[in-house]
Amino acid sequence: MSMKPMITRRGLLGTGAAAATLTLATPGLLRASTFPEGNINVYIPTSEGGGADRNFRAFSSVWKEKLGTDFEPGFYPGASGRVGYEIYMGKADPDCYNLIFGNMGPEVLNWAMQEPSFDVNDYFYFGQVDKDPCCLFVGAESPLQTMDDIIAAAKTRKLNVGTSRMAHPASIGLLALGDKLGIEFNLIPLQGGKSTVAGAVTGEVDFSVLTSGSVIAAGDSVKTLLVFGNNIVGEALDNAPSINDAYDMDLPEMLSARAFGIHKKAADDNPDRFEVLTRTFKETFEDPKLLEAYVASRGTPEYLQYAGIEECAAFKSAMLELGARYKSLLSGA
Amino acid sequence: MDSSTASILAEVFFETLGYWYIIIPTIFLGLIVGGIPGFSAANTIIILMPLTLALDLQSGLVFMISLYCSARMGAGIPAILVNIPGTAGAAATPLDGYPMAKQGKGQQALAISFVASCIGGLLTTMIALATMPILARVGFYMHSVEMIVVMLFGISLIASIAAQDMVKGLIAGFLGLMIGSIGTDVVYATPRATFGFLELYDGVPLIPALVGLFAVSEAFVIIEKRVIVNHTNEPKAPNWTDTFDGVRIALKRWVHIVWTSIIGLVIGVIPGAGASIASFVAYQQSRSFSKTPELYGTGHPEGLIAPESANNGVTSGTLVPLLVLGIPGGATAAIMLVVMQFHGVSFGPSLFEDQPKVGYGMFMAMAVSYVIMFLTILPLSRYMSHVTTVPTIYLAPMIIAFTLVGGFVPREYMFDMYLALAFGVLGYIARRTGYHVAAILIGVILGPLLEKYFLWSLKKSDGDIMVLFSSTLGNILWVAFAMSIILPIVFGMRRKRKLEVPAE
Repeated sequence: MSMKPMITRRGLLGTGAAAATLTLATPGLLRASTFPEGNINVYIPTSEGGGADRNFRAFSSVWKEKLGTDFEPGFYPGASGRVGYEIYMGKADPDCYNLIFGNMGPEVLNWAMQEPSFDVNDYFYFGQVDKDPCCLFVGAESPLQTMDDIIAAAKTRKLNVGTSRMAHPASIGLLALGDKLGIEFNLIPLQGGKSTVAGAVTGEVDFSVLTSGSVIAAGDSVKTLLVFGNNIVGEALDNAPSINDAYDMDLPEMLSARAFGIHKKAADDNPDRFEVLTRTFKETFEDPKLLEAYVASRGTPEYLQYAGIEECAAFKSAMLELGARYKSLLSGA
Repeated sequence: MDSSTASILAEVFFETLGYWYIIIPTIFLGLIVGGIPGFSAANTIIILMPLTLALDLQSGLVFMISLYCSARMGAGIPAILVNIPGTAGAAATPLDGYPMAKQGKGQQALAISFVASCIGGLLTTMIALATMPILARVGFYMHSVEMIVVMLFGISLIASIAAQDMVKGLIAGFLGLMIGSIGTDVVYATPRATFGFLELYDGVPLIPALVGLFAVSEAFVIIEKRVIVNHTNEPKAPNWTDTFDGVRIALKRWVHIVWTSIIGLVIGVIPGAGASIASFVAYQQSRSFSKTPELYGTGHPEGLIAPESANNGVTSGTLVPLLVLGIPGGATAAIMLVVMQFHGVSFGPSLFEDQPKVGYGMFMAMAVSYVIMFLTILPLSRYMSHVTTVPTIYLAPMIIAFTLVGGFVPREYMFDMYLALAFGVLGYIARRTGYHVAAILIGVILGPLLEKYFLWSLKKSDGDIMVLFSSTLGNILWVAFAMSIILPIVFGMRRKRKLEVPAE
């Protein structure tokens, strides 16, 4: 009895070819469908315990549910944020598993003062978490309790003004105010938001300028007198007027805006992964849990504002331009 | 203190005692993370953040405070036994702690350190609780000008160390100050002496410098011996006598504990100042007004008590600006702020009106932790001291491996491991050629802080150097500083004269 072979040569070759094609194609298919397979590393260019830390934890607590993975923050403070960016750009793999969570205001302003070792176009921000205007505030016990007090005192002596770092939108707001009023202020870089608040509260400086989110978080210890943008939170910033309204100016809003950024190469090489990131990022904003988490972390709900790639790119570009304009005053050059 | 506050305090105290099942394991966790170079209460709280946030407010608070206190104390253990100060706050501990261990008095030294830490911590917690509104004002008077003088108190230790060999001591101190100036400048963030290394932009990282100069170089030295303990001082079998001896020695110097812990408390309440400043200032003050300054650095109990009491005094001090002003006094307090805010706690002037149990609860958690810590940790000194009898052929490689990992942990840069090794080689050469590594380290730790306050002062005065003498408190501190330099010399001369009289 002759037995007919179960698998013909042609069939074997055909099946083999199909299997090989499937095997080769599988990683690509899986990459798209299974991303992320591990935790996402987030480089934060400031120290733990600060505003960025608070903000990141609130946002990632909801985003991780959409993305189905955890976020691992790494803090790389130093040189006004430069260290964190240099490490992210120089050492993190551009594979969509590594993101940076930075501030599009002061940190981008930095590049205008001193060029980084990488091309600033090699990374971009794809999702803004929040945006808050900078403001001018005094300690609760300061003898200067109104803008009139400040202006009167500034006419008798040069006032010392605390700022988180020289290259900061708040510093630019203050310099613009000084220009308008014909007053010279002395900026003292107190190295970080906490120290800037402490400087105003304890009298190390006459008053301080900072992003308003950190000022609101400082509570009753401080009093806000002027906002370098629109005061959309009213009472939370002591109903302080906007600089443009108060002094008939036309200054663009001096903003701090925290956003997630990514290597350009990572997004170009892995469009499927990048799509997952941007989609889930946006979905996070639609979840009411985000607002709860943000408020629980002492965030100001009005500041929680989504912005996508284009808006972030416009913001970054405006900051670079502003930095170039004020470079000589902020860099000592 | 009115009756309602007293009843809240009593209530909170007993409630906190009820959390013993959290406090005891946390104390052991804190001792471990405090003892490992590179780990600290701050990064442990961060690592365990999901757990901390999942706990209810009171449990989370008790956990964080216990960890904070025990990690501070834990950092002193390897500093004493194997010359590894795990944090900058423990950098002054081995100056006298390690010589004691080498003399076979490791068990005594640990007991002295535990007693000084617990009493110092407990006492300053009570003082902070009672005088919170006054202490919170310290930050309003201690500005950059005043802080320059405080820094000089610590830095003047270099001169004391240099007393044995002035030229070598000053060279070592100057080298330390130069190393400390590496990094971006305070005002314009311009990189200086970074040699193109990005890892140095934020200055020389303290942990690799610390473990390199002290521990790695020590490992190179001890490998030439059989055990850490000197041959003439073979340790005895474990016994309770040495532990009780240590307790007795420390308790006999209770005034010293009180005095130096208050130095720690006052420095701790100043936002931005920390345990490293406090421990060096306390050590310097202790030495300056000691009847036996020549014994410092040779294994003198007072040289161990001073930094340990002071750095535990800082622990309670950092809570004051956090609770009263809403300004965290240090890194751990900043992390606590984040966690507490997640629980809806609002720090600042209104805290004691809105949530008094939270405010007082933090101090009570600290007090209870110190009491429980004293009872649980003291018996262990008997066993811990055996580390000094482990043959160096095992111990030295372990120290190097352990400290290199410790150097890596805070920033997770391979560069930091190489840096720790480089500092180890520098420390070894310094030891072999008679240069004091502590003088180098003081420059590395306090130099950048001195520079920061100095540049802030100059910037505030538009470059007028006379700003240094522009405040009343600053001037009082200058006088105190001058006295602390001159008086020991006068006392020393008088002692010398007295000693010479019988000879005549």
